[in-house]
Amino acid sequence: MSYQQREPPILAKLCSLLVEETYGELAARVFSVLARHGRQTLAGLARESYLTGRQIKPGLVVLIQQHLVFHSALDPRVTYYEIDWQQSYALVRHGKILKMAEDRFGRKAANVLSNMLTFGHTRLADLKEAYFPSPEKPPSDSAEGHLNGTGIASAEVDSVNGSSGKINGNTDALTNGAAFVNGASAKLHTTADLAKKGKGKAAAEQGNDDVDMMDAEVVEEEGDPNKIQSVGDLYEIINRLGKAGWVIKVDPDQYLSPGDFHALVRQQAYDSIWTDEQAPTGTKDHALWDSRTREMKRQVRDEWYQPPKFDTRKRKPTDQDNDRSSKRQRLNGAFAPADCSMNGDTSPHINPVDDDLNLRVNFDKIGVALRTEQMTRFVEGRLGYTTSQVYRTMLCILEEHIPRCYEPWPDPPSDPKDVALNNHVDDKFLVSAREVAHKIGREFDLFDGLDPHEVVLVMGRSEVKQNHHIKPPLDPVSASLDERTRLVSCHIRLLANDPFHFATWHSRGGANAGGGRYCVEFDEIAKATIQLEIENTVAARKGRIGVKLVRALKKNGKLDERQACNVMMTTANDIREIVNEMTVQGFVQTQEIPRVDRREAKLSLHLIWYDRQRAREKLLHDTYKGMVRIVQRLSFEKEKIHELLRKAERSDVVGNETKYLRKEELDALKKWKEVEAMLLLQLFREDDLVSTLRDFIGPLVSV
Amino acid sequence: MASSNDGMPPAAEASSDTPAVKAELPSNERPSPAPNVPVPAAQPAPRPHDAKRAELLYEKCAEAPAGTLFFQRDLSNMDVAENMGELVNLIQELSDRHMMKLLTFENEACWKIRTRQEAESLRLMTGDERLIYQMIDAEQTRGVWSQSVRARTGQTIGAINKILKGLETKGLVQSVLSVKHPNRRMYLLKHLRPAEDIAGGPWQTDGEFDQALIEVVSKLVEQEIRRQTCIEVPAGYNAYTPEDRVEAIARKKARLQAVQDIEDAPAIKPYRPPRQHGRSNYVYKSSRTYPTPETICEFVTNKNVIKDRTITAEDVDQLLDMMVLEGRLEKVSGLGYRVPLALLERGSYNGFVDAPCGICPVFDICADDGEISARTCVYFGEWLQTESELIL
Ligand code: SF4
Repeated sequence: MSYQQREPPILAKLCSLLVEETYGELAARVFSVLARHGRQTLAGLARESYLTGRQIKPGLVVLIQQHLVFHSALDPRVTYYEIDWQQSYALVRHGKILKMAEDRFGRKAANVLSNMLTFGHTRLADLKEAYFPSPEKPPSDSAEGHLNGTGIASAEVDSVNGSSGKINGNTDALTNGAAFVNGASAKLHTTADLAKKGKGKAAAEQGNDDVDMMDAEVVEEEGDPNKIQSVGDLYEIINRLGKAGWVIKVDPDQYLSPGDFHALVRQQAYDSIWTDEQAPTGTKDHALWDSRTREMKRQVRDEWYQPPKFDTRKRKPTDQDNDRSSKRQRLNGAFAPADCSMNGDTSPHINPVDDDLNLRVNFDKIGVALRTEQMTRFVEGRLGYTTSQVYRTMLCILEEHIPRCYEPWPDPPSDPKDVALNNHVDDKFLVSAREVAHKIGREFDLFDGLDPHEVVLVMGRSEVKQNHHIKPPLDPVSASLDERTRLVSCHIRLLANDPFHFATWHSRGGANAGGGRYCVEFDEIAKATIQLEIENTVAARKGRIGVKLVRALKKNGKLDERQACNVMMTTANDIREIVNEMTVQGFVQTQEIPRVDRREAKLSLHLIWYDRQRAREKLLHDTYKGMVRIVQRLSFEKEKIHELLRKAERSDVVGNETKYLRKEELDALKKWKEVEAMLLLQLFREDDLVSTLRDFIGPLVSV
Repeated sequence: MASSNDGMPPAAEASSDTPAVKAELPSNERPSPAPNVPVPAAQPAPRPHDAKRAELLYEKCAEAPAGTLFFQRDLSNMDVAENMGELVNLIQELSDRHMMKLLTFENEACWKIRTRQEAESLRLMTGDERLIYQMIDAEQTRGVWSQSVRARTGQTIGAINKILKGLETKGLVQSVLSVKHPNRRMYLLKHLRPAEDIAGGPWQTDGEFDQALIEVVSKLVEQEIRRQTCIEVPAGYNAYTPEDRVEAIARKKARLQAVQDIEDAPAIKPYRPPRQHGRSNYVYKSSRTYPTPETICEFVTNKNVIKDRTITAEDVDQLLDMMVLEGRLEKVSGLGYRVPLALLERGSYNGFVDAPCGICPVFDICADDGEISARTCVYFGEWLQTESELIL
């Protein structure tokens, strides 16, 4: 079973809470039954949940639509349902993802993405319908095609299709809060409105209202550059998200749980090499089988991750048309009015885009972006703001060619020795100072964070006078590209010299590289940051001495008390208590090795040791638990002012709060907002920690 | 360290450094003569005037700097004995009176004299005491573990401990706990300073790390390394302020955005003043050389904070390694060290431990509901300044 599918009960708890928060109680009930009992059939679900099939189905549909549940119809007689933990956990990240999308692709793209996150996966036609409803087509129609389009053959699901409609999972507190925390500017209007309106959680009958609402918005905000103006605009955005890998096609196989997927591919791998008569024998054959399985898994997956090509099935020529027109649009820097009118026409004859295409958000690729943001923040803490922005630019350039943080099915299993010997790095994983200098905004003061002497040296003018003042002052903005390249080089050198080796020099890379080309050893950095987070946790709990102990053990392996004292240059009394407490917390382990037959403890060797992978899992587990407590506290706080919130949300009160609410009520509301912001901010920070601990590298071999 | 010994010159006493000089282990009988010294078959008893000549020989030896090794040829060159046989007798005489001890140097026999005082106390000892004393003496600064005394003498540990105690109270030997083997008590002569194997380096006193000393030195080292690797750049170090700066930025931004291709890398976040005003900033020096254990050792030695001990680069290395563990230094490019900039001040650790649960003492027993839960939690109450549910 895949590493990521190994869920501790606490994760189940957390995800159930997230599902409840986002999709309401019914979905949450089905979810928690699945969480508790694992893989189930519909009948099994009914048995375990005391719910009837009729009650379960709508809940299940929500979960499936959101890709929170895998389902396998490999066996034609019965369908199994199983939770997708990665996807379920990702509910907590929606806000963060939208923020990143806005930074990278602009507001409009964030808006589209927000709809995709809200609807799970989306048929292109439905998305178009949502933004630009055609009057003659009632939206409930499309819902049918919607689920059908995924090619799900399951009878159970089909039977509920009609009633499912669009699922307006409201982007509740979680997403909203994210926007709130990230600054009001990030508040996505659609999201906010959906949240307000879409309270009917797993309810089915929201489709109409919603579209109307969006329609109204379009009218209201016409002319806003952040507003999607036309269907062409929309397709352009989707195309861009697809090219960047943020949005991928939906494929029925994606609904297979890792176990089912494995079984399926393994069988295919078998069939591709052996026949029934000639079965594999011996370890060599099995190794071949394994590696073929991994290879085929990668193939299948890479196929999913091909940027969705619009209209591959129907009209080749128009495809090119589309390409050309989008190029022209780009050159113009804005959409020409002609395009608008053309694309605005939703008639299928002119529309070049395949309406039946089903799209979903690709969390793998988004994980890479999350990693970029986290590493940037990390570098900011160590080397300062400007250097961190140079780094971010480097990482963003590299992102294009990195489909995921790490390969779960590597082939051959990476042997560290081989990697060391063969340091060939593909050109697309290299980045030069020159590229960064090109890409990084002019507004950055690249002098910042550098030794003024170095700045003066690069600029070839001015001098450093006493107290490190540059005289006469230099204008950072007017530096030439060459100068900027050299300044960027200085920042990259800082990154490379750091003990974390944020960048690694690779080759000179010719005249155009400007100071050589660098690669980023993500795996090593990921390991180091995991270690650092463990140390941070220990530091907060036990102070400097605890960190010292962990590092001493990490560096020297198993130590007895005296040896540990020697390395740490401290006395036994100082560490004894710490060792005990940290053992209880699960960050270090102790071991007793008897030296006499009677196993007298006094004569035994008592060793202390530290295992990074163990500590990592422990901290991850604790962090999940911390998040559970925050979500629980959040709902407790909300419960306390439930009545007031209801009142404040009444349509006559909204906008007229001062008129209808008393001063105490207003104060209480304000306080609640603060509390919510504090709790959510902390929740998202804990999620950052989860990324670092879980998502950037696979299981580590114990030291 | 050898120089600080009470008058013992380095060559012989610091035997741990010069393992070539080996003490001949005493046996239960009279000290045996050197292997390559011809011993007359029948030893005549020392005649009275031999005692005087022995005295003379001792005096002559004592003229040499203390701790000198005397080989047979040196002693015969002193012109005290008539012939080889007599010299052997004289040496035997002095050995019997504990005024001389036998050693070997590169497999050749040699002798060293003891002070009269030491000889006197040896004379007053019982045979067992003397034997053990000699064993301790033979190990010099390395010291002897009581268990190995037992192994070699075959006596009970009780008896040996009694003797060792006795020697200790007489002020002849001292005991220290070994650093390497913490439960071993090592014995060595009173006037010697224990070797590093047992007592640890200059950072230890009586087997314990001298925290005060370590703190003083590491502070100094940290400051020095900071001075060498970082510079503090004042807030307005580059006082460049074109009048239309804001406008220029806006213009440039507008231009950039206009031409930005959609396949371009993501837009970069908007400008933010890199420094807080009025606050200086540490940056790393651009020089590529970093302080090493050697240069820091020199610095510490010149600072003269460590009294009557010399420290070596290895000692400093140990200290620097420890400071790396503490996060006060970090290792760069192989041998060099620098100060992490991030150190300056930290208010937060990570998302988990900055929330109440991360450092909660009852974290492990906190449950979804019940007496200890998020609803009843006092820590959340304190943090959020809200009321928690009361436990009834
Ligand atoms: S909710 Fe309160 S009691 Fe429970 S672990 Fe968190 S801080 Fe501790």
